[in-house]
Amino acid sequence: MDDVQAVNSLVRRCVAGDAAAWQEIVQQYHRRIYNICYRFCGSAEDASDLTQEVFIKMYRTLSTYDGTRASFMTWVTTVTRNLLVDHFRKGKYDRITDSLDAVPGGQDEGLTLAERLEDPSAGPEARVQSQQAQKLVHEALGKLSPELREAVILRDLQDMDYKDIAIVLKVPEGTVKSRINRGRTELARVLQRNYKQVN
Amino acid sequence: MPDHIQPGMQCAEVEALLADAIDGTLHGATLAAFEAHRDSCAACRVMVEEASRGMRWLKGLDEAEPPRHLVHNILAQTIGQMPEAHPVPAPKGEGWLERLKGRLAPMFAPIATPRFAMSFGMAFFSITMLLSIAGFHIADLRHVDLSAKGISKAYYSTQARVVRYYENIRLVYEIETRVRDIRRVATPSDEQPQQAAPQNNQQQNNPPKGDDQQDKDRRNQNYNREMGRPALAASPPSSNQVMDEVNSQARLNRRKA
Repeated sequence: MDDVQAVNSLVRRCVAGDAAAWQEIVQQYHRRIYNICYRFCGSAEDASDLTQEVFIKMYRTLSTYDGTRASFMTWVTTVTRNLLVDHFRKGKYDRITDSLDAVPGGQDEGLTLAERLEDPSAGPEARVQSQQAQKLVHEALGKLSPELREAVILRDLQDMDYKDIAIVLKVPEGTVKSRINRGRTELARVLQRNYKQVN
Repeated sequence: MPDHIQPGMQCAEVEALLADAIDGTLHGATLAAFEAHRDSCAACRVMVEEASRGMRWLKGLDEAEPPRHLVHNILAQTIGQMPEAHPVPAPKGEGWLERLKGRLAPMFAPIATPRFAMSFGMAFFSITMLLSIAGFHIADLRHVDLSAKGISKAYYSTQARVVRYYENIRLVYEIETRVRDIRRVATPSDEQPQQAAPQNNQQQNNPPKGDDQQDKDRRNQNYNREMGRPALAASPPSSNQVMDEVNSQARLNRRKA
């Protein structure tokens, strides 16, 4: 509760024109917003641009934030999600359509995504710890539909509860859970299918 | 997913409870029914395993590190202020110049930005260009008479120039003419201008008169100009009229004295 009051006080100071308060908000939330953008659009450059756009939008609309309706974190996430959806609809950040067997960007000495995922000595779970495996999961996340992707990002990467996710996505809580289940399952299938193909 | 009917729980119910089951928030009879169905239904067992695996992979993703200048760029685009621009106390032992810089830096922080510098440069360039077009040169300032008399003279000459310019504008002239026409139409008697015209002609032919008579003539003349015929917008006031006004003002001052 103290945190909520502190954040609301920070927002009030910022709306009143306190530049230091705005700077504190940027410091507190830029990492979270950047990560949502990065995991959603898949590119670090695009995520950086989008994060800046999110903060510009927040700066202009901060006075519309109502602390009685939702937490500031939920409001920030909603602004971010809306901007991401807008950009996705413009077709700028369309889904990656290349095959798992394609060589992305000619990197990694011609190894396919499936070959990079393959590890005879360990299962996929163990390989997630490695940097390369993280890249594979990140790429697989980009192959999910936007609805499923945003749901699993908010739940599994941002640790938001179902109620807040429902507010952000503007869908019932049951739909949120269903999307999260489908998103997790589809991600596992994408990775597992290729893993099995190699074996 | 096939909707098998299992003892205690159906596949659709298992799917609805899947997220809670993975979160570990199912308890008691519900958890027991869920596990019983999962163990007996192959499709649901696969679904639960895949969802659990997908969640573990996602949880294994590390937080991405934002670019180093992201905060800097955000602040520059929103409030135009850099994080480094906050007041930093000068360490002891520094000279007065450093201390002065340390105190002044926060005050000038809002304007010490590339955006402000660019705006200032553009404004300076525009003003300089306008002054140059208007024929004003900085070097001419050396010849300006800054004495009280000189300033007064410059003031009145500038004022006269502005008034003359304003009165000579074609638009002003046309508006004044229209207003005069409307006023003339609205006035019921047209006799005054007709009477005034001969007086004007007569006055031009007559030799110079006394001071009082001259004042009356001048008033009639002005009246005729306003009501009878249109004034020439492009013609500056004649030197005689100006001299008459100056003389009459001087006479009035003498009488008062």
